Amino acid sequence: MVYPEECDIIFRVKGVVEFSCQLENPNSPQSQSIISKSFQLLQWKLSSKNVVFSICKSPVILWPNVSFQSSMESLTGASACGDVLQYIESDDCGGRKSSKKKDKKRSEPTVVNIKLLFEVTNPTGTEAPSLIQVGTQQHSVKMPMPLDCIVSVTADVSLLTVCTKLVEALGKQLSDMEEVVLQYRKGSSFLVPQPFHFLLPEPAGLSTVVYPAGVPDSQLQALREALHKKFKLLTDRPYLRRANAFHFPDEVNKDGYLRNPHMYLNPPNIENAKLYQVHGVYSYHHYMQDRVDDDGWGCAYRSLQTICSWFQQQGYVDTAVPSHTQIQQALVDVGDKEPRFVGSRQWIGSIEVQAVLNQMLGVTSKIMFVSQGSDLATKGRELANHFLTEGTPIMIGGGVLAHTILGVMWSENTGHIRYLILDPHYTGGEDLQTIIDKGWCGWKGPEFWDQNAYYNLCLPQRPKTI
Amino acid sequence: MGRSYFVEEAVEKYLSGLQAAPGSCLTGLLAGQSSPQKDFVVLAVQTPQRESEVQPESSRGGSALDGIDVAWLTEHAKQVSRMLPGGLCILGMFLVTAPELSKDANNTLKRLIFAMEKYVTKGRLWDPSEEDVTDRAALHICSKTKKAVCKTFDVKDPKSSAKPADWKYQTGVSSSWPMLICSVELDLQIFLKGSDSTDKCMKDALSRWAKQIEAGVCLIGGRQVLDEAELVLSQKKNSKTSPRQTLPVRILISEEMSEVDERSTAQVQVCSGSMTIRGVVHCRAYVHNNKPKAKHAAKAIKRDIINTVSSRVEMFLEDLLISDGSLKVNFSSLFLCDYMFPDESSADVAERLKEMLDWETPEEDIDISLEVFPSGSEKTDSISDEVMTSIISENHEVKKTSKYYADTQVVERCALSVCLHVRTHFTWNFTDAIQLFGSSWRQ
Repeated sequence: MVYPEECDIIFRVKGVVEFSCQLENPNSPQSQSIISKSFQLLQWKLSSKNVVFSICKSPVILWPNVSFQSSMESLTGASACGDVLQYIESDDCGGRKSSKKKDKKRSEPTVVNIKLLFEVTNPTGTEAPSLIQVGTQQHSVKMPMPLDCIVSVTADVSLLTVCTKLVEALGKQLSDMEEVVLQYRKGSSFLVPQPFHFLLPEPAGLSTVVYPAGVPDSQLQALREALHKKFKLLTDRPYLRRANAFHFPDEVNKDGYLRNPHMYLNPPNIENAKLYQVHGVYSYHHYMQDRVDDDGWGCAYRSLQTICSWFQQQGYVDTAVPSHTQIQQALVDVGDKEPRFVGSRQWIGSIEVQAVLNQMLGVTSKIMFVSQGSDLATKGRELANHFLTEGTPIMIGGGVLAHTILGVMWSENTGHIRYLILDPHYTGGEDLQTIIDKGWCGWKGPEFWDQNAYYNLCLPQRPKTI
Repeated sequence: MGRSYFVEEAVEKYLSGLQAAPGSCLTGLLAGQSSPQKDFVVLAVQTPQRESEVQPESSRGGSALDGIDVAWLTEHAKQVSRMLPGGLCILGMFLVTAPELSKDANNTLKRLIFAMEKYVTKGRLWDPSEEDVTDRAALHICSKTKKAVCKTFDVKDPKSSAKPADWKYQTGVSSSWPMLICSVELDLQIFLKGSDSTDKCMKDALSRWAKQIEAGVCLIGGRQVLDEAELVLSQKKNSKTSPRQTLPVRILISEEMSEVDERSTAQVQVCSGSMTIRGVVHCRAYVHNNKPKAKHAAKAIKRDIINTVSSRVEMFLEDLLISDGSLKVNFSSLFLCDYMFPDESSADVAERLKEMLDWETPEEDIDISLEVFPSGSEKTDSISDEVMTSIISENHEVKKTSKYYADTQVVERCALSVCLHVRTHFTWNFTDAIQLFGSSWRQ
């Protein structure tokens, strides 16, 4: 994951404003202007003096629209925004990654979460409450606008600038939301607009897109094509599917699997060699996970699961990572195995992996055959090319073992090669430290392979879609 | 170990001045603030006589205790509790009887306290918290000896028995209690669904709003209320003579509603109409100064905000009911006659205070401030078929314009509250602003 250049802190403000309007006739042409007027009221609300930013896990409260008011005397508009960090309570649990990170070269920016609040105790008038009653029949429409805006800055930028940018971002997002609401409205049926953040290649960087809730990615193709053009993105791989959404450093993975453990390794120092590795995000699947005791027979299944997780997280498919049983059933369905295969502890190989990827995910794969393990040292060019163009994890089976190859370090001149291996034979818990220290995810040399056994490699091909 | 009640000296004077007619008994309320260790009583009010009432007498074949009009008593309690500022509540009752009825006093008090608690808390929009004290004082005074005995009952437990309690008189119990103040802007929209009554729609909308307030971030004197911190008060050199500290409060709310946010579509309802309540309410709460927690103070002011708005809305509802859905709004309707009209004088207000709270208030001490009549008032005493629309101008002022629109009926009802600074220098040390809310409970 490459972060935007020069970004120390990501300020993220989240909150809800309730959209509400009354339509007498949702199908009349006047409805649109009534809806727009209601959004106009919300825009006003976002720029009012009652907007409050409350920095999560800290006593710091800011009023960005009142020539900068803050609850802490020491923090003024001119203060560097990095000063805010000292007031934030650090997270003790869940900080595993940050405290034990071995890779010191890639420093992650700090995320400062802010809650959007509204003050109710600063009234504009002094009028006593009055009740206004409207007697016409109408459709009342209510929905939350789930605002979520980010601003990436260096720590020396002033707080005033950051707040101004955040307020601007909120206003812009609200108007993006208005567009989406109007575009996808059918009569009195309204879809909630939802923001997603994507880390795009420069110059776009961390960008936000609003999608209508409930409309699947498959139906948003045209929208994505327009956005790819706008952000100058290649059109052969997805960047803007919901699954591609940026995973913030402080967000915990809900499913409990480790993501990209290879990121915590230092590549070996080989003269003239270049690094070719998997693109994007995958989850580490290995023995004993999901309460399935597959110790001794499930290694290829786990490698396949890792590959499936890659396709899911890059947004190519919606389907969840399949279980052993589901994998076996798929093979029965294509006629590759007898029905009694399901529930057995039989091994599978690269051919089966290729078949399942095709059957369940619609993904095609190339098979590479190597007659003896020692020949793998000569496959540097093919492997490098694979990682360059496809960037998918490779499943390799041979001897009695299956592994996943995540990358190679290869020198075109000398032919020296190292393999980045993810080992599915690990039986422990999701302990990153152990996995790295003991080499369950690690760089191996050509001697790693059984020099006399033959190997089959399954190289999944990336669908060229967005 | 029973509870300890620290009671204003002025209450002692009041209670000893009460005279029960022979053969009859007197009931009344005790108001103040409870804290986990101590309770403070700052006010005692006897239940007023009904005008047409005949004193319950033992000669009618039952004891005077049986003749107590519970409904009248609980209604009075409700009205008084509405008038109390935040932080204060009814924390017990007193009963003055002749010596021969003393043995039944506790049972009577228990009956009355439970009835009162049930009635006063009905329809309350905020939930009681774990830390709320549920013991209520049951004070029995013998009309002959003037001796006062205090016991407590736990209103959470219907089977609770009387527990002993200390009743101590002190001067200046509340004189240096800090006061929390804020003005809350209200903009509540209520959609009327055909199937639900107006009452229910309003209560639903209010209930949602009340939850936002309860969950809101509270800043007292500029500091956020977090965890178990104590309320920060300025140094008191001499607690008897230093002025009462005023702490401004700010409330910040989030419009997130977790059950709504899971939806992917808007909530659309067909409504027969809608109502908006807009305006500003002023709220006040007092906190005891015996190492109060900031959370306790935040709770007191938030509850006052919710109670204030809830009372206003109840009055709107009563007015709607009385006017039977007709559109005529009249400043002289029953609903509004307890409020201060431009043509009323302080004397009228003093009279009402005496009736409801049994207070003697020199007229010069009544000082009307804080709230004004809404500017559109002159338009509202006729049946109007105009739509009043508010548009927010660039300067963020609320403007009202009208335009004709057939078949629409719009009514604007105004409820004004009078904020009184009552400085009753001879009976109370408790210097305050009390807000009058209740509609008249005169017959």
